[in-house]
Amino acid sequence: MERHAFRAMGTDVEVLLEAPPTPESLLALASAEQEFHRLEAILTRFDPDSALSRLNAEGTIQPPAELREVVELALGARARTGGRFDPTVHDALVAAGYDRSFELIGSGPITERCSTPAGGRVHVGPALIALEPGVRLDLGGIGKGYAVDRTASLLAAHGPCLVNAGGDLAIRGVPAQESWPIGVETSEGELTLGLASGALATSGSDRRRWNTANGMGHHLIDPRTGRPSDSDLLRVTAVATTAVEAEVLAKALFLAGEREGTAEADDLGVPAVFVTVDGRTRLAGGLE
Amino acid sequence: MTDRLARIYAIVIAIVVFFLTWAVVAARPWAEPTAAAKDPRLVALERREARVHRESLRVRTVLEHRYRVYRVKLRERKKQIAAINAANARAAAATTVTSTPSWSAPSAPSVGVVTAPPVTNTHTS
Repeated sequence: MERHAFRAMGTDVEVLLEAPPTPESLLALASAEQEFHRLEAILTRFDPDSALSRLNAEGTIQPPAELREVVELALGARARTGGRFDPTVHDALVAAGYDRSFELIGSGPITERCSTPAGGRVHVGPALIALEPGVRLDLGGIGKGYAVDRTASLLAAHGPCLVNAGGDLAIRGVPAQESWPIGVETSEGELTLGLASGALATSGSDRRRWNTANGMGHHLIDPRTGRPSDSDLLRVTAVATTAVEAEVLAKALFLAGEREGTAEADDLGVPAVFVTVDGRTRLAGGLE
Repeated sequence: MTDRLARIYAIVIAIVVFFLTWAVVAARPWAEPTAAAKDPRLVALERREARVHRESLRVRTVLEHRYRVYRVKLRERKKQIAAINAANARAAAATTVTSTPSWSAPSAPSVGVVTAPPVTNTHTS
């Protein structure tokens, strides 16, 4: 088993490849890291030269294929989740204090701003993306899921593999032990899920938190209020076919809260682990 | 009188012939010119020229060997890069198809709680 770790998109990325340590497999791991950095350079909002930053600054762009695809995925997710997942929460995130790369939060004063509602209009044409005036996009979570999916698919040609970028994880191929055991944090300790295919993602308010004048802030914005969610959940882990889908599901189920979220996971058949703020763990969607 | 004059001429001529022969023999025209007779700077230059020539042959041989090895490695490297690029292109095409979520018919992958030690951990992203 080859293991390669690096830092990208503001998180620790770990890549596992079940293959002998040949030059080809080592080159594939290096290519995976390169792909992550390439996508980060397009999708980050913290680099003023990225395609996303230029779109947010100018309102229109002739996008690279990857940006166009992620925006379309994000808008599709907004439609399917009834707006619970929304890429236009950029200004609300900034207003909540997430106005710089997470490593830098705390290194300077956070400017108080008014929160901004989400739901802005985004036009995606054949060769152009245009934003309604005042609308800006944040593709942090879904962009990471997209990078995880892409990287896992690239590595799949070299053997069974797993790509884990913080909470977004995708696997391709069946390993010798028939499933990948993955540790998930719960209130009672660690729960191990055996995943034979697909992906999982975890969303929560227990990390990426910071102090503001109005108390603790976090990065999970509720698009209905434009403010950090006051969900009764601490974190949700959802399993899906792709990391993009798992990321959207985890965020939507988190914002739904414990009662609605667990019911929705059962209805949709989405295996999920819910950890509540008061320290309980609930399994849903067929997990036992 | 005539005989006497003739003898005198014969003696003179014999003496001249003797001295001429002596001079020719003393000059040893058949002997090889000796090395000592050559200019030592010329000898040193000739030796140096020969040494430089041998060294240039050795350098050329080494360079040709190294270039052959480089060409072989380059061919192997190009094959590896082409194979990886082809695999990447196939995988990218597959990703485009598989990365679109479908909530209307969710097909969650097979998953269950296991007791095996985890190979990795996930936490809030």
